[in-house]
Amino acid sequence: MTILIYLLISLAVVILQGTASTAWAIHEVHPDFCLILACVMGFLFGEYKGLAMGLIVGLLQDFLSPGGLGINMVLKGLSGALGGVVTHTVSTVTGPAIFAGTWVLSLGSELASLIIAFPDVNATNFAYTLTTSLLPQSVYNSLLALACFWIIRKCHPQKSQLEPWSRH
Amino acid sequence: MSTGLRSILSVLFLLFMGLLFLLPRQSQDVLTWFGNPLSSVLEIPLTFVASVQQKVEETLDHYITLQHAAEENQLLTQEIARLQGEINHLKEQAIISEEFEQLATYQRLTPMKTVAARIIGRNVSNWYRAVVIDKGQHDGIAQEMGVITEAGVVGRVIRVNPRTAVVLLLTDPNVAVTGMIQKSRDEGIIQGTPQGTIQMKYLPPLSPVEVGDQVVTSGLAGDFPRGLHIGQIQTITKADTDLFQAAEITPIVDFAKLEGILVITSFQESIPVDLPDPLPPPAS
Repeated sequence: MTILIYLLISLAVVILQGTASTAWAIHEVHPDFCLILACVMGFLFGEYKGLAMGLIVGLLQDFLSPGGLGINMVLKGLSGALGGVVTHTVSTVTGPAIFAGTWVLSLGSELASLIIAFPDVNATNFAYTLTTSLLPQSVYNSLLALACFWIIRKCHPQKSQLEPWSRH
Repeated sequence: MSTGLRSILSVLFLLFMGLLFLLPRQSQDVLTWFGNPLSSVLEIPLTFVASVQQKVEETLDHYITLQHAAEENQLLTQEIARLQGEINHLKEQAIISEEFEQLATYQRLTPMKTVAARIIGRNVSNWYRAVVIDKGQHDGIAQEMGVITEAGVVGRVIRVNPRTAVVLLLTDPNVAVTGMIQKSRDEGIIQGTPQGTIQMKYLPPLSPVEVGDQVVTSGLAGDFPRGLHIGQIQTITKADTDLFQAAEITPIVDFAKLEGILVITSFQESIPVDLPDPLPPPAS
């Protein structure tokens, strides 16, 4: 049942990514809703749920992306899992933690995607992509993740605190 | 009132009654003569009351009318909004129909075999400039097929799912198409850049290419026939140390506004196959 719910949420987010990300773009910087979903799941519900959600949403995204199958799946799964690990490490989920965590995970994930998509990228193009796309996008993703976190916390205040490691 | 006065009043009343019955016309005249000034006195308050009443009635009527008008206005506003929405919807439908009609006309006229598809998604992944179309394996779409509109080249099919396919646009650095300058017939490689523009690489160093020259497909790679429009030369760059010239191209297709495309499933080269027979060898 949980997997089915994850699947439905992932499907909705991938459709949103495919249809609305252009409308959400600011100066050609597109948000990555799939990454945000994986990160927020990891931050709020732990590394296993983050991993599961990341794997599902990444796989669905791969089906509609030009890159090889499995790239987004691995990257999003990893982002979700790392989100959970980070949260457990800092023990309390706060806004700044979500922002900084998503920023790092987004930047890392997008860097990996860039290198996979363009393995022979030269320094000029890399610098251009980093400044015009990678950094702004990671900030944009972080802000959206923060907004999601804020909304979820308003609806479920108990979700601002994860269980300690020992309970897993 | 004293008894005497009562008696006088009674007598006068009886007299008046008698006069009224016995001399009706004369009594009417007398009454009119007496009544005129009285009626004039009464006219003022009556007019005042009547005017007040009229005002009140008017106000009430106006209020009731306004009430109706307000409701009517609201209904009309809603109706206008609905009709406006309908007009916009119809306009949108007309534009889409027109676009697809152009595409369908082109599809009928072109000798290439094509499959028309609608764009249902864009940029699902951030590192590729790609669109998702609503036709896939079941419709005869395969990887590496060329994608065009009636204007020119759009890109290439990169992934095929059963009912959908992913098309990598010409502006993506992972797409390369063989092209040529229409005027000078010089060939080169058309490729996207990370900045989202299109460039033509490996142009011969002595090519007389000029800004504004039209660029078309050369048909060498096999996924596009010869002569499909790609764009026109915007800038030309060649450093002294470069072996080749390069040019930036303004694409003919507006990739941001794409709604329908044609996937080339098969085509015959436009170069005539039935060339004239070679001259017979000279008789020895």
